[in-house]
Amino acid sequence: MIYDNSVTFLNLYRLLLCKTNYMEKILSVKNLTKKFKRVVVNNISFDVEKGNVYGLLGPNGSGKSTTFGMLLSTINPTSGDWYWFGKKGTDPDTLKKIGAIIEQPNFYPYLSAETNLKIVAEIKHTPYSRIEEVLKTVGLYERRKDTFKTFSLGMKQRLAIASAMLNNPEVLILDEPTNGLDPEGIIQIREIISNIAKQGITIIIASHLLDEIEKICSHVIVLKEGTSLYCGRVDEITSNNGYFELKADNNTQLLNALNELQWFTAINQEEDMIKAHVRDDESISASTLNQKLTEKGIFLSHLNKKKLSLESQFLELVKNTK
Amino acid sequence: MTKLLKLEYYKNLNYRPFKVFTILYFAILIVFLFIGLIDFDLFGEPINLKEQGIYNFPEIWNFTTWIVALLKIFLGLIIVFSICQEFSDRMFKQNTIDGLSRKEFIGSKLLTISIFTIVSTIIVFAITMFLGYQYSNTTEPAKVFGEIFFIGNYFLKLFTFFCFLMFLSILLRKSIFVFLAFFVFWIAESILSGIEVFTKIKGLQGAQRNEVLQNDFFISHLLPLESMSNLIPNPMARLNMAKMMGIKYEFHYPTESLIACLVWCTIFIFASYWILRKRDW
Repeated sequence: MIYDNSVTFLNLYRLLLCKTNYMEKILSVKNLTKKFKRVVVNNISFDVEKGNVYGLLGPNGSGKSTTFGMLLSTINPTSGDWYWFGKKGTDPDTLKKIGAIIEQPNFYPYLSAETNLKIVAEIKHTPYSRIEEVLKTVGLYERRKDTFKTFSLGMKQRLAIASAMLNNPEVLILDEPTNGLDPEGIIQIREIISNIAKQGITIIIASHLLDEIEKICSHVIVLKEGTSLYCGRVDEITSNNGYFELKADNNTQLLNALNELQWFTAINQEEDMIKAHVRDDESISASTLNQKLTEKGIFLSHLNKKKLSLESQFLELVKNTK
Repeated sequence: MTKLLKLEYYKNLNYRPFKVFTILYFAILIVFLFIGLIDFDLFGEPINLKEQGIYNFPEIWNFTTWIVALLKIFLGLIIVFSICQEFSDRMFKQNTIDGLSRKEFIGSKLLTISIFTIVSTIIVFAITMFLGYQYSNTTEPAKVFGEIFFIGNYFLKLFTFFCFLMFLSILLRKSIFVFLAFFVFWIAESILSGIEVFTKIKGLQGAQRNEVLQNDFFISHLLPLESMSNLIPNPMARLNMAKMMGIKYEFHYPTESLIACLVWCTIFIFASYWILRKRDW
């Protein structure tokens, strides 16, 4: 009994710790807006909590890179505020706690990987001994003396990750890290990123590769034309909506019955299979549906409840706001 | 400071245009200083600049600084290439993201400019001293140090020139545009000062005209390139040949150009900083 209690207390304590840790805000963005000739980022707000992996989703031109540019002090915002580690704006000292890769790997093409990293180490006040460590992490130590311009795109991207990891950052910002890479390169980068995530480093990653976000991110922020459409956990965005795949001997009868139930937003027939999308405010299990249909005298030859992938969710979100 | 120095060292160490032009510059610089030792033909007559008194104290300061200042364009190329390269490779953006402040960026570039200017000034000073003691018809201290201010003017002239190029590089970001803009600026200044001189001496004759040219205040002398070039006036009138031909040499210390140069330096540096801050990268 005593033993049981102590375990519960320990768990409770852990839970509390977890909770406070969870609540620590790394970044808080409030009503950020940027206008060039048109509005590129429109009044977006979101919070980034410590230890999570955030995906910034959006089609090309939805303002992802501009948002990062503002948060990294390379672009001046039109209006709005943000706080890094509770401190307003972005100053060079804050940037030293952040590792960032933007659009494509930027290095002096005529310098070796090592010299390029020495420059970054000087800027970030990091000891040179870290250079060897990060080069080994991304598997470029053997090529350290070669000039940057002789590297393949995948190697360039890995060097960029090495550079971003040089100062043991608290946050890692990645803008399209797998853009233009071959499948092998994509896998390498993805492995490096998930290893970094395991170390408890907060990661914000922009991508339009949705399965990638789904695989590594715990939270997503969906942008479209500069407006934030969704901000929250990945499993919440993918769990609330699902759909059923159904088949019966008499599909017309089945269609009528499903329409009568009013549980679905859309019911459509593809070949001899019927897809019924569940409404947001309903939650129906397969057995409930089966029971209801049996009561109506319809016997199914096929019933399958499926979750929407992030991809279809995303397309749905983006489509709905047109 | 050491951080910025190291940054510039790493960035420029293996940059080929940087190496080529640096070597070229200092080689030609030294060759030019010894130009008086060789004979060359001018209108079919052999001329030796040493015989013409260019290595005599105190004129030597005027001669050597004026001659080698013509070479500043080589160093200018290095400055322009190394700054524009930061923008063409998107390295300024990357440096900023890594945590280099705008002030540090400008600081590191000013450091490179200062080092080049100082090294060039020291070389010119040392070789001029050597040549003077070797070939001058007099080595009285009063004569030796009489016009040594030309060394200071030389330093300021180069520094202002490089600040100007730094400003253009940060403004335009592509070396080809920088050179175009520079030449347009040069021509524009020449036209402006030509117009001013023309309106001032219109209708004047001989002595009166010289009087105006010598003593009047010209607003165009305050323009950047004009004020730089006025810091070290053309010394050809000080050649023995010219003296024999009866050309009178008069020199007024160009105080207004000195002040103008200092003001331009400040403007160029702060304008560069302002551009880096205000622009979206």
